[in-house]
Amino acid sequence: MKQNYDFDIEKIKNLSQEEKVYRKKNLDLFYEYGFPSKQIEDWKFTDLNLILNKNFDSISNEINFESSKEFKAIENFEHNFIFLTNGKIISTNFAHEEKSKILIKDFNQEEVMNIDPSNALALLNSALSSGGFSLEITKDYKLKKPLIVYNYFSQDLKNKILNNKNSIKLNEGSELTLIDYSDNNIQSNFIKNTVDTVSLDKNAILKNILIQNSKNNGHFYKYIKSSLEGGSSYENYILSSGLKLNKIEIEINLNKDNSSCSIYSALNLLEDQHQEIKTRINHNSPNCKSYQKIKNVLNDKSKGVYQGKIFVEKIAQKTDAYQLSKALIVSDNAEFDAKPELEIYADDVKCSHGSTSGSIDSDAVHYLMTRGISKKEAVKLLINGFLNEVLEKITNNELKIFLERTLERQINGH
Amino acid sequence: MLKIKNLKATINEKLILKGLDLDIKPGEVHAIMGPNGSGKSTLANVLSGKNGYEIEGEISFNGMDLNDLKIEERAQKGIFLAFQYPLEIPGVNTNNFLRTSLNSVRKARGEKELDTLTFLKLIKEKAKELNIDEKFLSRQLNVGFSGGEKKKNEILQMKLLEPKLSILDETDSGLDIDALRIVADGVNSYKNKENAFLIITHYQRLLDYIKPDFIHVLSAGKIIKTGNADLGEQLEKTGYANLS
Repeated sequence: MKQNYDFDIEKIKNLSQEEKVYRKKNLDLFYEYGFPSKQIEDWKFTDLNLILNKNFDSISNEINFESSKEFKAIENFEHNFIFLTNGKIISTNFAHEEKSKILIKDFNQEEVMNIDPSNALALLNSALSSGGFSLEITKDYKLKKPLIVYNYFSQDLKNKILNNKNSIKLNEGSELTLIDYSDNNIQSNFIKNTVDTVSLDKNAILKNILIQNSKNNGHFYKYIKSSLEGGSSYENYILSSGLKLNKIEIEINLNKDNSSCSIYSALNLLEDQHQEIKTRINHNSPNCKSYQKIKNVLNDKSKGVYQGKIFVEKIAQKTDAYQLSKALIVSDNAEFDAKPELEIYADDVKCSHGSTSGSIDSDAVHYLMTRGISKKEAVKLLINGFLNEVLEKITNNELKIFLERTLERQINGH
Repeated sequence: MLKIKNLKATINEKLILKGLDLDIKPGEVHAIMGPNGSGKSTLANVLSGKNGYEIEGEISFNGMDLNDLKIEERAQKGIFLAFQYPLEIPGVNTNNFLRTSLNSVRKARGEKELDTLTFLKLIKEKAKELNIDEKFLSRQLNVGFSGGEKKKNEILQMKLLEPKLSILDETDSGLDIDALRIVADGVNSYKNKENAFLIITHYQRLLDYIKPDFIHVLSAGKIIKTGNADLGEQLEKTGYANLS
């Protein structure tokens, strides 16, 4: 299907000759691989090549960034924001903060971390990236309010691929709650290929929350590569229901002692939606903790996938790693695949994992119906009860209510 | 209010109720007693609309054919079943459940749905009457509740939904004497001329607190004897075996 790609580096503005050469090299490497198919182990449950062949006649990277689209900030929830259209910064607002403590600018290509050279989509991203944002929080600054990154898209993205790179850096002792918020109801098929790099210095705390706020035909791939220094903490919440296709790949490197990370996801997949969460947690140092709880509800003809790998280096003694996947399969036509992987070279570690899938408890539905609740509402109550659990650990009440409402909307199909 | 004629119920090809007749009028309290396996719980299940039963015969509730009503419609029209074993439903918040339930019923009855604040005020009042700690209301539905707490929660739901016919299935089982008294007080304070009760029980004990107008003895899927409150005391002495 190479003949239908229209990938042109010349369409990206303001590139130096040197950068063009670098990008061309990456593009050529991508062409060697093509979009990954199920023959590639990492993509065995999500045959991207097949899915794109089915849904796209051609794919082009010609993106119009001159969008005048206004956006509506979320009400009754105090926050700072970065507003992006097609991945580019349009405006920012840090009204709740000391502005000198926050550095925000267009993404700087030089900040790129080394990405696995066999990741075809990351190669494509390196070739075609139109940038994104770079955010840095200075030492010991703790943001008072969450930061929402509004991702809006222009209406002319049919058969287009967006490639973005963002970077988030928290210096020693700083804290941030970042909500990556996608809101668009574009009916045409488009692709978004994003690479985020996250770097947490000593004792920094980042809560990263991914929210999809509307149903649409986006085919999204997001690769997050993060590295953690001693005592830092990185929490992820994934509430991304609503996309036609979504694969989120998170690599977390626990590089120094006493760093910790967690990944919680709550997805309610409808129709023929397909979402995959793939994680790789590298315990590279002793006394680190990782925790993953992945919850999926599969309705209609949807498909959910979880591939979770925990890697423990020989020196990473006293590692505490936990991984649990639970799926609730509501429809006979839905599918869920889980592949847990543990690779452990240290001998004094605590690693546990589990995976369960089940159907809706018909006795519970009956009980709720005897209380006047319709079957449809009863099932929704049970789905909500199943998914809501992942928000349990959030202590900020305002944030918790906001996320509970988000989840409820997603359970109602947006 | 409830008229049952020649009711037969089969589950898994086994005939459980074998021609049962019952007539309950507003303001009446009926008790059904009987040995294990006589069909008491089947009767409660059938009235609540539980799936899996093949039904023959007539059941009418305030002139409506009960077989035409879905499970939730029965609740909306005023039938309430207090479960023998109330379900634990992990993840579902008790308050949230109670509000969804009440608002579903109110909506079906053409009444205004209650907003969160009005609801919370109402539920706190009702919980207090039953000596239920408010903390239970913010916990997951019945999860980790003791037997007595679960049963009190059932009576709380009854008082909230204000049914016309309340069916109490072995509500006394698992209750200590204090909880039993609270549950009985809850029922007695709700009882009036307009509503009716069907109390299913093994023992006379509950009937010492909630005085029935009629006691029916169910045996092998049929009512074999009907009497007034004295019948219960008599059964307590002689057992079911001596009836025929």
